[in-house]
Amino acid sequence: MLYREAGDFKTTYSTDQQTFPIKSERWLFWAFIAFAFLVVPFLINDYWNKAVLVPLLVWSMAALGLNILVGYCGQVSLGTGGFMAVGAFASYKFMTAFPGLDMFSVVILSGLVTAGVGILFGLPSLRIKGFYLAVATLAAQFFLVWMFNKFSWFYNYSASGQITAPERTLFGIAVTGPSSLPWATYLFCLTMVFVFAWIARNLTRGRIGRSWMAIRDMDIAAEIIGVSPLKAKLTAFAVSSFYIGMAGAMFFANYLGAAEVTEAFGIDKSFLALFMVIIGGLGSILGSFLGAGFLVLLPVLLKNVMVGYLGWPTDLAAHIQIMLIGGLIVFFLIVEPHGLAQLWRLTKEKLRLWPFPY
Amino acid sequence: MKLTKLAMAGVLAAFVGAVPAKADLVFPSLSYRTGPYAANGIPFADGYADYLTLINERDGGIGGVKIANPECETGYNTEKGVECYESTKGQGALLYQPLSTGITYQLIPKATADGIPVHSMGYGRTSAANGKVFEWIFNYPANYWDGASVIINDILKNNNGDIKGKKIALVYHNSAYGKEPIRTLEELAKKHGYEFTAIPVDHPGQEQKSQWLQILPRPSGLRPDVGLGRDECRCHPGSGEHPLSNGSFLRHLVVRF
Repeated sequence: MLYREAGDFKTTYSTDQQTFPIKSERWLFWAFIAFAFLVVPFLINDYWNKAVLVPLLVWSMAALGLNILVGYCGQVSLGTGGFMAVGAFASYKFMTAFPGLDMFSVVILSGLVTAGVGILFGLPSLRIKGFYLAVATLAAQFFLVWMFNKFSWFYNYSASGQITAPERTLFGIAVTGPSSLPWATYLFCLTMVFVFAWIARNLTRGRIGRSWMAIRDMDIAAEIIGVSPLKAKLTAFAVSSFYIGMAGAMFFANYLGAAEVTEAFGIDKSFLALFMVIIGGLGSILGSFLGAGFLVLLPVLLKNVMVGYLGWPTDLAAHIQIMLIGGLIVFFLIVEPHGLAQLWRLTKEKLRLWPFPY
Repeated sequence: MKLTKLAMAGVLAAFVGAVPAKADLVFPSLSYRTGPYAANGIPFADGYADYLTLINERDGGIGGVKIANPECETGYNTEKGVECYESTKGQGALLYQPLSTGITYQLIPKATADGIPVHSMGYGRTSAANGKVFEWIFNYPANYWDGASVIINDILKNNNGDIKGKKIALVYHNSAYGKEPIRTLEELAKKHGYEFTAIPVDHPGQEQKSQWLQILPRPSGLRPDVGLGRDECRCHPGSGEHPLSNGSFLRHLVVRF
């Protein structure tokens, strides 16, 4: 009943192939977007901004990027943390070297730098696959973190190796730095994620995305029908790293404001992003968001429930939270190995037939 | 769908309702009772809470006003530190003890903009000692540069003021925390003419035997005259053992906060 499809006729190819073919779902999507853009900025405060929404958006961007590589192109990567570090340090260098640059350009440029680094570390993927590639990308993770810690040019020779984001603006409104208002930071991140999720969705539907999926499903067959593995794999690495680099830039500049490479971009970040993609759903744009939501929001929610409501000791709550989330990950992977996106897909199938299933 | 909506409503309610009641004097404790450095975080958090309880019980608070000490677990993690800062800030926090150099760096600009003092007691950003630039940041009674300088002075004293040509090695935690005194030690090396070597130990520091073996007095080792350890303060049970188990170089000095 929720999805009333009667009378919703598709008369052209473009209406038939659109992302949200069901009318009511299209409405739901636009209502949600309108709420996020038009209502949330008026309600948001520092806590919601820094502890809930901006981390969610930043991690959604990172998960989107990793999903393109792992979910769409089938190249396992454990270098996400390192690539986020590239984005963060590139944005720091751009912000300090070109103080006049607006934040949008900084994030895009950082993404481009990361894309270049991603192509470089994607080269082994032309020769090795699967677990072996995962190990090669793991090397990228360790190498990049070591490099940003070792060479002080990257952190402008500061004594501590910390990088701190100066105040940068977009259209004259501060979106980074301590005096940026919550709504400005939030809207900036939301716009970036919205635009690039849109692009990602359409990339994956088009020729490039299909070549990625062909490589993922069977690389030899793909090569025989004329998909160039070199182009497909390297574009996947480039696009994926571009997204992850932008996520890293926003992670550092908009979210944390200061970062230290070993602490902020360690191997745990690579795993976190991979978990998001796997739990959310490999090869699904929605899945990237659901996975990020699951792993970013749930810990904050559990902490608030256990410490804020139940008044438990903070260390007990922290330990129980780790156990609960671990348990939930196992639970979701058992009941739905294809991720939360598949759960949503199944729910939608059922709702379309409800209340008269056949 | 209904379930989803209910769940969403529950989530919203939990987020909104999580702000506890306001107390008169709020000293948030950003503790780290979990994670690799918990061995040092637990006693500190307990001590801080105990002292504030003592003041509440014995003196009836400060000037008759009770102290509230809301605790927030950071696990020495900067992201959780941000969450903790934002969640306790609204309760009228009077002073922050970030208890982590990384979190301190993050809070310096924020707390300055919000006008909340940060007391990074002997840690954090050393240059914050300059009150003209960092109006809201206090790192008394000492900072990392003090630690380095005190050690060098002590070595000077024990060597009758002449340490020219001596080798001094610093085994440091490879982070903002560990790197802070390097500049000071390098500058002092120029002044006093000792040979300075810095040897990093990476987070979390379980395995640091190779670094300590590097400074053993063996033919292949650096054979320093003094080994400085600035990794233990990362509160790790693994760290103190190695220098003791090989127990063989001339002197080993440790900075501990």
